[in-house]
Parts: sequence; C-alpha cells; structure tokens
Amino acid sequence: MPEVELINIAKRFGKVTASADINLKVADGEYVTILGPSGCGKTTLIRMIAGLIEPSEGKVFIAGKDMTNVPIEERDIGYVFQNIALFPHLTALGNVAFGPIVKDMSEEEVKSVPQRYLEMVKLLDRMGMFPDELSGGEQQKVSLARALASGAKLLLLDEPLSALDARVRMDLRYELRRITKDLGLTVIHVTHDQEEAMTVSDRIVLMRNGRIVESNTPEALYLSPQNLFTANFIGETNLLEGVVKEVLPDRSLVELRDGTVVEAKPSKFRRGDAVVLSIRPERVHPANEGLNSVIIKITYMGTYIRITVESDSEDTMLFDVSTSEDRVYSVGDRVNLIWSKRSGILYPRPPEGVEEAIKLE
Amino acid sequence: MKRMDWVVDFISRKGFRKGWTVFIIAFFLFFVVIPTLYVVTYAFTDWSAIETTVLSKPETMSVIVNAVAASFEIAAIVTVIDFLAGLPVAWILVRKEFRGKEFLDTLIDMPLAVPTAALGFSAAVFWVMNPDPVPFSFSVISSPFFLIILLHIVFSYPYMVRSLAAILEEIDDTYEVAGRTLGASRLTAARTITLPLFRAGLATGVILCFSRSMSETGGTMIALSTMANLGIGEAANFFTGSTLIGEWRSLVENDPTYAPSLAFVSILLIALALILLIILKLVIMKFHLPLRKVWPMQEKMLSRGIFPKMKDGGALLFLALIVLIPSFFIFTYVLFSDPASLDMGALSYALGYSFLVAGVVTVIDIALGIPFALYITKHRDRASSNVLDVLVNVPLIVPTAALGYSLFLFWGSTGLTGGASFVVLTLAHVAFTYPLVVRNVAGAVEEIDPSFEETARTLGAKPIQSFHRVLYPLIKSSILAGAIMAFTRSLGETGATQAVLGSNALTAPVYIVSLVKADELYQAGLACIILIIVSYIFMLVLRYLTKKRKEAI
Repeated sequence: MPEVELINIAKRFGKVTASADINLKVADGEYVTILGPSGCGKTTLIRMIAGLIEPSEGKVFIAGKDMTNVPIEERDIGYVFQNIALFPHLTALGNVAFGPIVKDMSEEEVKSVPQRYLEMVKLLDRMGMFPDELSGGEQQKVSLARALASGAKLLLLDEPLSALDARVRMDLRYELRRITKDLGLTVIHVTHDQEEAMTVSDRIVLMRNGRIVESNTPEALYLSPQNLFTANFIGETNLLEGVVKEVLPDRSLVELRDGTVVEAKPSKFRRGDAVVLSIRPERVHPANEGLNSVIIKITYMGTYIRITVESDSEDTMLFDVSTSEDRVYSVGDRVNLIWSKRSGILYPRPPEGVEEAIKLE
Repeated sequence: MKRMDWVVDFISRKGFRKGWTVFIIAFFLFFVVIPTLYVVTYAFTDWSAIETTVLSKPETMSVIVNAVAASFEIAAIVTVIDFLAGLPVAWILVRKEFRGKEFLDTLIDMPLAVPTAALGFSAAVFWVMNPDPVPFSFSVISSPFFLIILLHIVFSYPYMVRSLAAILEEIDDTYEVAGRTLGASRLTAARTITLPLFRAGLATGVILCFSRSMSETGGTMIALSTMANLGIGEAANFFTGSTLIGEWRSLVENDPTYAPSLAFVSILLIALALILLIILKLVIMKFHLPLRKVWPMQEKMLSRGIFPKMKDGGALLFLALIVLIPSFFIFTYVLFSDPASLDMGALSYALGYSFLVAGVVTVIDIALGIPFALYITKHRDRASSNVLDVLVNVPLIVPTAALGYSLFLFWGSTGLTGGASFVVLTLAHVAFTYPLVVRNVAGAVEEIDPSFEETARTLGAKPIQSFHRVLYPLIKSSILAGAIMAFTRSLGETGATQAVLGSNALTAPVYIVSLVKADELYQAGLACIILIIVSYIFMLVLRYLTKKRKEAI
C-alpha cells in the first residue's frame, strides 16, 4: 500500500537550496497538505516524489520501495497539475482513457474505467468535448478523473485549485476530499492557500525556506501552533512584544511596552524573558478596562467589522466585532481590549526580530 | 524633435494613412504577385504555340515530364529525410540543457549563410565519384539524382529544424510529463501527445523544405555542371524542372522557338506547386497518427538505455556528415587543388553588383514589407487581409526559375528589360525576398500583445509614434532576421537572375556558374570562398551595428 516516506531529502539548484533536511512520513490513506508561501520549496518537494526531478540527497520511498532510478511512469502515481495540462488534441474521454491505454489494460477496461471516473466527477455528459470547450473547473475535474483512471493509489496534487475562480475553488475542495476518501487514496496536496489546506487535509505540513516548520492536524496548528511563523501564517494573529512578569500555574503575566500587564496561557518562561504574545483577532474583545488603544481604521467585511487599533504599548492590533452589535465605532475612538488567558500563546522573542521571523521568504 | 512635429502630424492624418495603405497593397499586388504569376497569361494568349511546339512533340514532352517528375521525387525524398533527421535535433535544441547548446544552435544555420551557388559546388566536389578524389572527400556518388538529393538536404535541413523547434518551443512540456505520470514511457508520451500537437509546425516545415527543393536552381545547376566536369557525363543531361527552365532560358535568346516550351514548364511548375501546397496543407491537418495503438513493452524498451543515445548520436552525425561538412568542403577543395589565376577584376565587379542589388532589394523589402506585415496582422477580421496573407506565400513556393521567367515576360511586356537591367533585376529579387521579410515581421507582431500599443495610444502617442517607440523595439530582432534572409537569398540567387536577364546578368553567383561551365573549377572554388567570406563579414557587421545602436538607446 502506498505510504510515502522521505528520508533526509535535499535539493540544490546550483547555489540555491530549494529543500533541505526533509523527513516526512505519509501514512496509507492519509490526506496530507504541504502548505507554505510561494518559493518555500513545496512544489520542488512534490516533484521529487513524482520523479520529475531528482533529489540531490536523500531517498524517496513509495510503498516501502526505494524510488531512486525509478522513472516517472513506473512510480504508479496520479499527478494533477496546477495548469491542468489536459491534452488539447483529445476529448475529455480520450484524456481520461490515456492512462488505461498506455498501461495496456484490457479492451473492456479501456472502455469502462474512464466512464466510471468521469461519472465520479459528474462529467459523463461532457465526455465528447475537447478541453477548450470546458470551463476551468470542469477541466480540472477531468484532469482529476484522468489521474484516478490510471489506477494510481497515490495522488499528488500540485496547486490543483489555484488557477480557478474563488467559487469553483470552494466546490472543488469538497469534491477532492470526498472522492479521495471514498477511494481510500493516499493524497499529497501542495498549496499556498492556508484556508484550502485547513478544509481538505488530515494533516498539514508547513514549509518555509525549503524546510519543514511544523506538521500537525489543522485544528492543532490553528489552536496551538508551536512556532511563531505557524501562528502568523495559519489564520491571522496579533503579535505583541513584552517581557514575562510572572508565570502562575493557570496563566502567564506579560508586561507590555507601556507597562500594561496582560494574560496568556501558562508557560515555561521565567520572569524577565523577552516574549511575543500571539492572540487571534476573533479572541480580542472591547471592554471597559484592558489594553488602552485608539482606532485607526475600520473595514466593513459583511458579517463582521474588522477594526485596526494602535495600542498604548505601540503594538498594532486587529479585532472583529459583529455587524449586528449596537455600539458604533469610529476612527479616533479610544477602546480597551481584553482576551481570555487561554487564548494568548507565548513565544520566545526571536533574536532577529519579529518582522524577520514571520517574513514569508 | 520639435521640427519633426509637423511631419508626425501630417502622416498621422486619416487621409494620408489611407493613401499609404492603398499604396502598400498596390505595390504588393503589382510588383510581387502579378509579376510572379504573369507567365500564366501565356497559356491564354498563345495556347496554340504551346500546342504545336510542345504538346504535339513527344520528345519535348518526355524531357519536360522527366524533369518535373525528378523535381517532385527529389523534393519528396528530401523532405522526408529532413523530417526524420531534423526532429531529434529540434528536440535536443528545445528540450535538453547542455553545455555547447548555443554552439549547436548556430551550427544549424550555417548552411543558410553560404550562397547556394557555393553550396552546390562544395557538395558536388565532396560527394561526386572522382577518379582523382580531393583529399578527405567522400567521392561515392555517381548518380546525379542522388547528388541533388544530398545537395537539397543541405539547404533545406535548417528550415525543417527551425520550424520544428519553433513549434516544439510552443508546446508546453507539462503535457508530456502528464502523460508520463499516467504511465506512458518517454517514447509513447512523445509519440501520442507531443507529435499530434505538432501538426502546424510540421506543415510549415514540410512546405518550406518541399518548395525550397522544388524551386532551387542555381546550386543545382552548379552541382550538375561540376559533376559533368568531373567526368560523369550523365549529369549534363539530367534536369530538374528548375534547371530545365534555366537551360532553355539561355537557349531562347538565340532560338525563340523555345519560348512556348519555356512558358509551358513554368506554368506547369507553378500550377503543380500551388496544387501540392494545398494538398499538403489539407493532408497534414487531417492526417492522424495512430494514437490508439500503443506497444507499452516495446516502447518502454526503446525509451531506455542505448536507444535514445543512438537516436541522438545518429541525428548529430547526420548533421555533421551530410549537412555541415559538404557545406564547407570547398575550403578543403581549394586548399588541395593546383592554383590558377582568377580574374579578380571580373569577380569584384560581380560581387559589387550583387551586393548593390541585394542591398537595394533589402531596403525596399523593409520599407514596404513592414507596413504590409502590420496591415495583415492588424486586420485579421477582414477577409481581404487573409487573402493577402495567403498570397504573400506564393512567391516562396513558386520555383524561382519559373518566377524569374514570369518576371522577364512581365517586365519585357513593359519594355523595361533592355536598358534598365539593374532596375529589372532589383524588382525581380524584391518579388521573391519580399515574403521573407513580411513573414518574419508578421510572425513577430502576432506574438506581441496589442495592449502594449494600445497603452501607448491612451498615453497620447500617434500611431507612428507608438510603432516607433513601442512595437519597433520589440520586433527589431525579427526585422533583422528577415533582412538577413532577404539579403542572403538575393545574394545567392541564380535561377531567377538568369531567367530575368539571360546570360548577360553579372551577379556573383551567375559568374560562378559561368566559371564552372568553363571547367575552371579552382577559380570557381576560390570565387565561392570569397563570396562566403564577404557575406559572412557583411552579416557580422550588420549584427554588430544593430547591437551597437540598441546600447546607444
């Protein structure tokens, strides 16, 4: 069965290191997303798994077999491309039938298999059409059916949705997860869209600068990120700089630059440690007391209003209020902000500075 | 710049632009298309002469049929070989990365820089069986038919590789990779995915090679005369359609009874070339490669190990042995022959005359070809511009000897041929080089997003200014490519020149032909080398000058 294991993978293009120290195990039937900003080496990684490029160091194992020197066509993978890459001279059916034909399946299978997968993506009625007669979403569905019809149990998705419209993208996410789970496939899905990663995966592998930063379930990465970069990249967050004042069994107390003391989760820090406090905008609420701030921007978002403030501690913060709330906010108003101690997470203040630590490259 | 303002304003006026467009199209019709096809009118005005002196004479007919058949057979064989040997090289050029790729890239075009007259001579001394062979020559060919095939491969091969490489460049290699992730071996993926996407490029390559082989006269004549002089007498009686026209054209001056036969062969070649062009185009677009059939095991085996290396090695060996060495063998020939004195005065006069004609022709092509290319690309929605687009190819596929004879008849009917031979020759050369500039420029303009120019217009530029400041810098390299092609074509052309002016034409290639015919092979070889070197230096200077100016801006 196609579990995938990467051992000490590194790839260098001349002097540029595209990936380094990659160790990753994907279980049979698992849906794993490789997430990261553009240029982080995630596409290089999936291309090495597919055999499109050779790693400079390390080994790729698929279903327990060493893939070094195994050409693309013998790795038994399905690959879905960002630019879709349907063969323009073949119909939808011809495209899906390509795998069964070149794999020398029986006449009968060459007839039945493509139709079965076209039905699965609900495009059986479009099978006679050429790629340029299909919409973008339909094309990507055909290309998914094409990858599946070759009989592969390991599916590699290289930014499969990023060329599509926002609405189509949403629909296809659910389709992708439904179909691959129904078929019990192992999936490795590369994307730069953290929302997409959150909604489809069993597990997210977050990459930065060619290395794996953190790997966990979507919930765990969102609720308790182990790393400042993760906290900032997955979802949105406010980062406040301060110094630990006291650590108690049920909370930590942090003194901000203006002397205000705020609460966070209990931690292993000691009094006097320089820290960064991460707090998600939806966990911040206006109250009668708390961190003193001035509203500098108000953005209407539909179901909620996003308010940007400059706090007395010289931190810029975001928080959301429901559109249905009675209170009227305007730029220049003073507000006090509070949050529950369990929603604030502390990280050591990075020596290179916060800006540098959360930079996308 | 202020002083120029009134000029810019004047030429931007609607009336002026309309007049200019009419002038450009009229020039194309009256100086390019109509002269090219004028010979066809002979069939209507003097059909009875053709009937009595050609159709009713079996010997004449059999000479014509044999020559025309030889032309077609040679062109077909050459095209197939070019395709088979050119495809792997095009593939290497586009899909592979290796050291020395640029070097290979320039090597392919080198035969184009050698005038066909020199190529014909060079290939003949390399291949022809010779009791006293030149050192390092192959000296194996005793059949004129095979010699001409080998010669035509030399100058049509670069066209094939270029057209195939151009289209391969356009085809996203993700398709092939996608095929391989689905389980297809390299060979299966290339054959079932990339090749079918190839058809347009294949059509261009096939048509270019076919028509180039069909129409080439000068090099073929020189190769055949050289062969005859080297002792294979059979070559003197071997004709292709084009060389037959060349031969009869030289006879018609003293014996006007050849005129109907000459017109008949010309019409026949033009008609067959046009019909064939249409058939080829249809066949290639309709032809389906056997996609459904795959042989996974066999193709997998052929995709691995030694086979791909053998294919690439074979293709490169072909390039070296069949294309490059014969092109430049002339240097070896002259090195190993007994020196004889060359009439430098006559040669430099001929060279000067050739360069003057080629230069004037290139200037006319550029001045009137660029606006024409712009017109046909910018009015794609109009039927008229599509018709013009097809018509502009006609001089490319009509055999140059037939074209030359047609031009001779056309300009003769206006009474120009007598005194103003320079003018007539220039106009004749414009007719078959003009399409080269138009094709190159139109191809480049089509690639460029019209929104660049539109942006310039919204910023307040007049059409002429947006051309000068936005479009021109982007298409400059294609203009240069077109200019170099036109220049070298004019410089190397023999068939059309002879057909227009007869034997009193004084261009360099015609001079070389006369040396070969007089069995002055050493002098001919030396003259070829001088022609190669002078044109090479000229091209280098041209490239250098255009580069310089780019840096200045």
